Amino acid sequence: MPPTCEVSVVVPVVERPASLVALYREFSAPLREAGRAFEFVFIAYPWFRSLTDELRELVQAGEPVRVVEVSRAVGETALLKIAAAQATGRILVTLPAYLQTEPAALPALLARVDAGADLAVAWRWPRRDAWINRLQNRLLHMFVKPLSGGRIHDVACGVRAMRTDVMNEMPLYGEFSRFLPLIALREGFAVEEVTCAVHPAAMTSRVYGPGVYLRRLVDVLGLIFLLKFTDKPLRFFGLVGLLLAVVGSVVLAVVFVQRVAGQGLADRPILLLGVLFVVLGVQSVALGLIGEMIVHLTASQRQRYRLRADPRRPSRPEAA
Amino acid sequence: MPTDDGVSDAPRLSIVVPLFNEEENIPLLHAAVRDALTSEWSWELVLVDDGSSDHTVEIALEAAARDPRIRVVQLSRNYGQTLAMQAGFDQARGQVVVSMDGDLQNDPRDIPRLVAMLESGYDLVAGYRERRQDRLISRKIPSFVANRMIRAITGVDIRDNGCSLKAYRRETLRRMHLYSDMHRFLPALAAATAGARITEIPVRHHARRFGQSKYGLSRIFKLLADLITITMISWFRERPLVLFSIGASVALGLALGSLGMTLLGFGGLRHEMANAYVLPAATLLWILLACYLLTLGLISEVALRRARESDPELLPLATERVF
Repeated sequence: MPPTCEVSVVVPVVERPASLVALYREFSAPLREAGRAFEFVFIAYPWFRSLTDELRELVQAGEPVRVVEVSRAVGETALLKIAAAQATGRILVTLPAYLQTEPAALPALLARVDAGADLAVAWRWPRRDAWINRLQNRLLHMFVKPLSGGRIHDVACGVRAMRTDVMNEMPLYGEFSRFLPLIALREGFAVEEVTCAVHPAAMTSRVYGPGVYLRRLVDVLGLIFLLKFTDKPLRFFGLVGLLLAVVGSVVLAVVFVQRVAGQGLADRPILLLGVLFVVLGVQSVALGLIGEMIVHLTASQRQRYRLRADPRRPSRPEAA
Repeated sequence: MPTDDGVSDAPRLSIVVPLFNEEENIPLLHAAVRDALTSEWSWELVLVDDGSSDHTVEIALEAAARDPRIRVVQLSRNYGQTLAMQAGFDQARGQVVVSMDGDLQNDPRDIPRLVAMLESGYDLVAGYRERRQDRLISRKIPSFVANRMIRAITGVDIRDNGCSLKAYRRETLRRMHLYSDMHRFLPALAAATAGARITEIPVRHHARRFGQSKYGLSRIFKLLADLITITMISWFRERPLVLFSIGASVALGLALGSLGMTLLGFGGLRHEMANAYVLPAATLLWILLACYLLTLGLISEVALRRARESDPELLPLATERVF
């Protein structure tokens, strides 16, 4: 077990990996300047060996760097959870494996956590990078920002600092680490934002393949369901089912009236459409009912609220 | 989670009050409770701050500093009335727990009567507002319709589900786990989960003195969805397969109906024989639905079984009859 330190910086190496040595040198400088005892934990898959190999020279030079390998592609959330379990620091900092913000963001984030925030996230503002990057960010936030009640302006920024317990207590899975600030808000943690500058290296245009955008869309849909309907699935499935069943019933009613008026039934393919809509509607409602049943039966297993840890702190974080 | 029963200095009566932006009302509430409860019962007042944005917390903590019988529970954000009540229930130490609103529309002078009624052999005593001091169109009429529906569907004979002033035995609350907006269906939930013996008595109701009323008219869909849920929990919690079998039977009936029409068509009784694919296809769809519902019913039985294994409190309360 390495000696304990104050700040553990966790870097999941998953996408857009750049030189990790350069990353370490840039981001360790302000920590050293602020006189904080720190460690860097790089967590990566074996197929990123070519990148993590560079770190050997740092380790051999006695820098506080650890490299952890996970042999299966488990996703960023799992990597963060594993790394948080390995971290020895009181404060956990997450960094993406590329230069996303200016390193000066770190001391500001740590100061907020010291002042009592559970989670402090970087907000890249003003955005000075390529227009295409800003457009993508804008589109994402069109869906995501209202979910936070307008309180989070930059969900996508991976530069975050938190108490280490926060990561351990957070019910995170799948790709939801992307939306960490939103989930932390829902869990009742005090989340604060710190504006910081975009790193010059991150200003070049980034365009991804269609698969990536499709995955993001699925993630956002999953997030909406998670935040709004996990405790009341029938409100979602019931609404969908009700709409479908109403459309189907209208079709069937029209066909039925025409049948009574003398028109045949069997040569009306639209009858099938009506039946199909009713069937889908009933299926959706039934799924919602199952969901409600499971929520009800497991209601005793989870405490759904969080009490304020320090009763003297004001209930609202001061407007940043 | 409920605090330990064995605490020696635990009061007999806990009054749980969820507060959301009620800074003006706290001193008045405290005074009213103090005046209403005389010496015979030891009591505590559990004030639950539901993430208020005004000075509710500060004022509550001040009151608690002056009167040790006040306890303040602070939620870390605004979770809504249901979870605020659950948090208060979890912190309450008394054998009898009374819930009430923090807006002074309920009158603490009714608490001794509620408690006396509870002691006479009930697990939950609900108050109903006899002369309700609220607006007719936006509050009273929707509430009347909703209560009628809840009463008819759940079979729990309570005429005012919306009145927060209720008294519970601790054991009843231990079997109830609130989430979503379940605070509106507490008696039905108590009957379904704890098998509670429930009654109601009339209570006083005052017009709001301070602050804003926190409900509106625009909640019909949510209320309906919750009503369906509570109905299902009331009738089918112990046998979900029955619920889904009913649906499956209806679908199967429709399948047989369209099958019959298909056969009639094939029999040459109708001119529809030429295009006889629509009705058989409809038959298949209905059969599909029936199978789907049966499968879901089986899944719900699995969920029930798993929950039973881990949670013995799913069984209702049992009380020995005293003659």
